[in-house]
Amino acid sequence: MTVAPQRADTRARLLAERATRARRLVVDMAASPRGCHLGGSLSVLDILIAALDRADRGDGTEVVLSKGHAAAALYAALHVTGVLAENPAPHYGQAGHPYTGHPGPKVPGVIFPTGSLGHGVPYAAGWAMARRLAGRPGLGIAIAGDGELQEGLVWETCQVAAARGLGTFVLVVDRNGGQNDGLVADISPLPRLAERFAAFGFETAEVDGHDPAALAEVLDGDRSGATRPLAVVAATVKGKGVPAVEGKAAAHYVTIDRARAEKWKRVIR
Amino acid sequence: MTASGRDVYRETLTGLAETDDRILCFEADLGGRRHPFAERHPDRFFNLGIAEATMVDMAAGLAAAGYKPFLSTFAPFAALRAAESLKLTLGYLGAGVTVVAPYAGVSGAWFGTTHHCLEDVAVLRAIPGVVIAAPYGEEEMRAVIEYAAVSGRPHYVRTGRNAAYRALPGSRAGAGERVPPVVWDHRAGADAVCLVSVGEEATRMCLEARQREPGLGHAHLCYLDHEHLTLAAAQLAAAHRRFVVVEEHRAQGGAAEALALLMPERVVTGVNAGRDWPSEGGDHAEVMARLGLDTAAVITATR
Repeated sequence: MTVAPQRADTRARLLAERATRARRLVVDMAASPRGCHLGGSLSVLDILIAALDRADRGDGTEVVLSKGHAAAALYAALHVTGVLAENPAPHYGQAGHPYTGHPGPKVPGVIFPTGSLGHGVPYAAGWAMARRLAGRPGLGIAIAGDGELQEGLVWETCQVAAARGLGTFVLVVDRNGGQNDGLVADISPLPRLAERFAAFGFETAEVDGHDPAALAEVLDGDRSGATRPLAVVAATVKGKGVPAVEGKAAAHYVTIDRARAEKWKRVIR
Repeated sequence: MTASGRDVYRETLTGLAETDDRILCFEADLGGRRHPFAERHPDRFFNLGIAEATMVDMAAGLAAAGYKPFLSTFAPFAALRAAESLKLTLGYLGAGVTVVAPYAGVSGAWFGTTHHCLEDVAVLRAIPGVVIAAPYGEEEMRAVIEYAAVSGRPHYVRTGRNAAYRALPGSRAGAGERVPPVVWDHRAGADAVCLVSVGEEATRMCLEARQREPGLGHAHLCYLDHEHLTLAAAQLAAAHRRFVVVEEHRAQGGAAEALALLMPERVVTGVNAGRDWPSEGGDHAEVMARLGLDTAAVITATR
């Protein structure tokens, strides 16, 4: 189903506004005593918010953040979309609270523990398979990082999903080009990424991972009759929204003080 | 004719699926060409190919949606290759997923080291909440699978290759009931040494040992997780002072180690696979004997 233009504009504005609020929460978490995986959290936020909004349609879609180190983004996105009532930022990493550095299912809206990379992908495929077996609508959406694609488990799942014709399975890649020790391009490059998924038998789409309208459009597609899984390669910027860290490998894990956090939050638009 | 553990599993699950359409059967390319579940329920049978970790993680998603996934692949691949998936799915989520693992111990025999699994109980015992079963005989396997299907609890079920046995009398209290924590084969006086057998071949050896030494006691344990071993230890400690635990597994993380901790006032020793890496051919019994696992070793350990 294609969303009418005016309505699509309204929705894109809503998603962008949520992303702005969520980015400020992520910066608050970077200013916690624990710090957070800031760069990858800011890169994946627009994807997460669009995917959670897609799931909010209520057709049984589940979203799994497989790149669990971006937990700060997940908590922030769940809060601004209304799934998580509590503001997680003041409690992030604190004793007695469930907002750990990698997410577990004690957080409302989190369904699978991730952070050991690769596992969220087959979980989402299993959910997609369950929906199809039951003859019910809804997707299994996994959001993975491009560094995460170095895990064999991801490609094992792609093989299975394609072989099983899991059209209800969607894998979104947050392609920010960075990983813990540096650049993906330097450590284990991924040339012709969309072609790789196509070779597995996936439908593919390449989008700007910071364009809410583009993300919403690709995730909104009617997949009820699809017989091939969908891979969405979303181009993103590590540290997106905070000029001081945008595109910098050092933005991977950041701990800042409150004054810097307030300064960074003021420039987030 | 008596059937092997893995054949009983397939037949039992196929039967249960007649009346429970939430049961799904998954294989990772080691289910054989004529799987009874595939023939009877083709729409609920999935050979996912050689993708063990994916199979376990996908099962978590299916269980969350209300299905009852039963997965099977060789023990070394389930317990070791997919160990992290077992931790997340069976442990952390406590998902109602059952993993049935044939080729446990050295039942792979001449297939070699990669196909042996002397570490699986240690791995699974370290994941709280998982029901671990090593049934002896077809009646026990049937009872374990039936309970797994109704319990909603995560299960790891280890079995051998093609060996087929009849279960001990008393291993099943009644239809649909769980195997008791202790299946007493022979109760002897409190001063007698009590053999404790775990799994198929260890139980066979203990039965043989007791035929040669009728004064020995013999208890068989089907369930090996902490919850069941705690119940078993209470019964064992009340009946005997000295135990020889026989298991086709390494000492580390096995049943003897656990029972020794659970019965600090009792003497617990073990006959097990030790620390060697079996690397020669031979049939199952020959490979076990190379590891010091045979009936003579069991009898020697009781003296």
